[in-house]
Amino acid sequence: MNRDYNLRASLNGLRVLEIGDQLGDYAALLLSGLGAQVIKIEPRDGAGSRRVGPFAGGVPDPEQSLFFWRYNLNKQSVTLDVDHLDAQPALCALAARADLVLLSGEFEVVARRLPLWRRLAQDNPRLIVCTITPFGLDGPWRALKATDLVQMALGGIMAVCGYDPDREGFYDTPPIAPAMWHSYHLGGEYAAIAIMAALNFRELSGEGQFIDVSIHEAVNTCTEVAIPTYVYTGEIVKRQTARHAATVITHARLSESADHVLMLANLSPFERELRALGELADRVGIPHVLGTPEFKQLEKDDRVAAAIYRNDLLMEVVASLPADEIFHRAQAQGLAWSPIRRPEDNLGDPHFAARGSFATINHAELGRDLRYPGTVASDGEAPHFCFDRRAPRLGEHTDLVLRHAGFGEEEIATLRERNLI
Amino acid sequence: MGNGNPKSGRALDGVRVLDLTWLQVGPQATRLLATFGAQVIRIEWRERRAVDFLRYTPPYAPDHARADGGRVQGVTRGRGSPGNYDRGAYFNNTNPGKYGITLNLNHSKGRDLLRRMVRDANAICENFSPGQMDKWELGYEELRKINPGIIYLQTTGLGKAGTYKDYVSYGPTAQAFSGLTFLSGLPEQDHPAGWGYSYLDHSPGYFGAILLMAAIRRQRLTGAGCYLDMSQCETGLMLSGTSLLEHQVTGQPTARYGNRMPFMAWSPHGAYRCSGEDNWIAISVQSDEQWRALTDEMGSPPWALDPRFATAAGRRQHENDLDHDLTGFTAGCDRYDLMNRLQARGIPAGVVQKASDRFDHDPQLKARAYYVDLPQSEIGTWPVEGFPAKLSRSPAEVGGMTGRAAPKLGEDNAFVYGELVGLSAAEMSALAEEGVI
Repeated sequence: MNRDYNLRASLNGLRVLEIGDQLGDYAALLLSGLGAQVIKIEPRDGAGSRRVGPFAGGVPDPEQSLFFWRYNLNKQSVTLDVDHLDAQPALCALAARADLVLLSGEFEVVARRLPLWRRLAQDNPRLIVCTITPFGLDGPWRALKATDLVQMALGGIMAVCGYDPDREGFYDTPPIAPAMWHSYHLGGEYAAIAIMAALNFRELSGEGQFIDVSIHEAVNTCTEVAIPTYVYTGEIVKRQTARHAATVITHARLSESADHVLMLANLSPFERELRALGELADRVGIPHVLGTPEFKQLEKDDRVAAAIYRNDLLMEVVASLPADEIFHRAQAQGLAWSPIRRPEDNLGDPHFAARGSFATINHAELGRDLRYPGTVASDGEAPHFCFDRRAPRLGEHTDLVLRHAGFGEEEIATLRERNLI
Repeated sequence: MGNGNPKSGRALDGVRVLDLTWLQVGPQATRLLATFGAQVIRIEWRERRAVDFLRYTPPYAPDHARADGGRVQGVTRGRGSPGNYDRGAYFNNTNPGKYGITLNLNHSKGRDLLRRMVRDANAICENFSPGQMDKWELGYEELRKINPGIIYLQTTGLGKAGTYKDYVSYGPTAQAFSGLTFLSGLPEQDHPAGWGYSYLDHSPGYFGAILLMAAIRRQRLTGAGCYLDMSQCETGLMLSGTSLLEHQVTGQPTARYGNRMPFMAWSPHGAYRCSGEDNWIAISVQSDEQWRALTDEMGSPPWALDPRFATAAGRRQHENDLDHDLTGFTAGCDRYDLMNRLQARGIPAGVVQKASDRFDHDPQLKARAYYVDLPQSEIGTWPVEGFPAKLSRSPAEVGGMTGRAAPKLGEDNAFVYGELVGLSAAEMSALAEEGVI
């Protein structure tokens, strides 16, 4: 691997303190994948994300949360009662060595903790303090109660996702929040973007800063044409099954293959895709009139009838062969079709194996390895992210981290006796 | 390459990005770099097949919008006519803060000019079909000979390396392949609901910005370059939640669960119909205490006092009945009034907001000044979607270095070729005549 190309160690040396719940896990995970050292400071009964299922054993257990495992790879866990005055010396010692602190959770919790960090930032002017809250630190909705579902509703993603209305245009199914946890994904990605900007600014100026991420706004950024359409034309896009919300109801895009797998198969407005469909139909032996003078005439005379013909032919082609075969044959013709896979269908796919897309993590307590999504990009030979350690057990690194921060064995024992760690 | 001026307050001050991207996934990444002060130069060509598809995708600004007459200047809304590359509404929202130039890469002089610009650039981004840049001899290996520190971001559906390196993909393709489409929807329906837009044209753009900024920081510190082969499908896997782990641990196939919450003892949990046309509210009850508060708010109707619903386990076991009965209550309620009443009792609840709600009504977005008014040189000043975080020292500015929304096609040729590249007026007009710029 050419070290110059790869970013997996690009944040080496960066020390991150993560204090909060499931709103912040993902942002810190992304930083850890680029080499940052993330210390997760948890209450003695564990961070909130340890109570999010599913659980490996089927019953709630702070050490068995698959959510916690997924979003806390590479991190260290320290237990410390950050809201107790007597824990402040330990917190200050950790803050003095930190580059970044991530505070996440409900507004009241973050707002209560923030003044301490304003003071600590005065002692450590390079410190970057990033808060992630449901609605941001100010504004009339700042203290509203929210869950992932509520954020997906208020943020606008739900209104554009769901099933087709009936023929009269009436929706008998609700808007759908696409699973799972995407409001926290969006908040986490934007937090990471803002943090990367702040790190770049710190390289210029030597100064840290405060970052106030609103998950509500993060969700709002991600509804594509919904806002521009309304702002410019006053029209509202309508949600439709497995395709783009639009001001009109468009052709269905899912069709069934010979082995009853749904395929996403459609034609974009580019002429070459219509030619490709004709070639594909030829290859699978389905007679058609695409490309003939009669079809060109039909396109001129009756666009709707031509579109229906195209669509029917497309569905006939998809129905003629098993999904996997249609997928490869369509791609060979340059058609961007795909089977509707379950996520796990990708675990055995040679493409992702060749790219090293999954990180293999040893779980000694299970006596096995588990594979995790490991990257979004490659340097041509290796992934840009590196995830190589399972999520920490609760308090697994408390003693180690406190010793590194200058605490002696006796002080650590005293903190433990007083139930502060 | 400048080192940047800390007094500018711009995190990416002095950073120059050559932006060959189009549609959504690439422009999303460079939009975010422009937001933090990078000089993003959008490179396009005038031929129809080389113009960004979004430039001629509706909706368009209304025909009566003018350079000094956009929505903010009081122009009324309406559907505009097609046929002009500089009036696309969605394009305008996707590309604020960028400079725009024209450059013909099918012309050898055009490719030479790009190579010349690469010398002084920090990063170059593209999302052509796999292999296009190599055909032009403008791939990473060629460009790093010119500028060893160059950062090269390429975004494709499946990635440029791997078994399917030649496969093509749009956002929805990647969503279908990675599993995100399957995961979204009601379990009782044969079809998934999927996503109502190209989610995987947005999230890989966010990741593009994260990785570009990680690479720019390292470049500032060490001078090292970087090659980024970004994959929309890998991003989809990254966003597949706990489904892959659950499958490996339990051996069961992944299921979808609509708006319910199978992983916590939260119930009711869903979207419920309210009064009016296609109006809904999301309600997310996290405890028995919240359930009792909801019952109280409803006036304790007999159905809600049914012992089946007294505990979370019971409510989840009888969730279809529960949702049916609860809808009987919500269907008569005004959605915002109900949201306020439930929130006042500490119950997580929120209106399923449509674009009109988010733009006209949402008091939180207003208070945080989320929408940003930016001028465009042909259609006037319109609101553009903002950045979802406030930074105290190097703030996000969606208008970037240009202070504008999207550039017109080739709007900044004189500035970029004249002042940044250093071509004389005579050279520029000769290149224009030859069909190079």
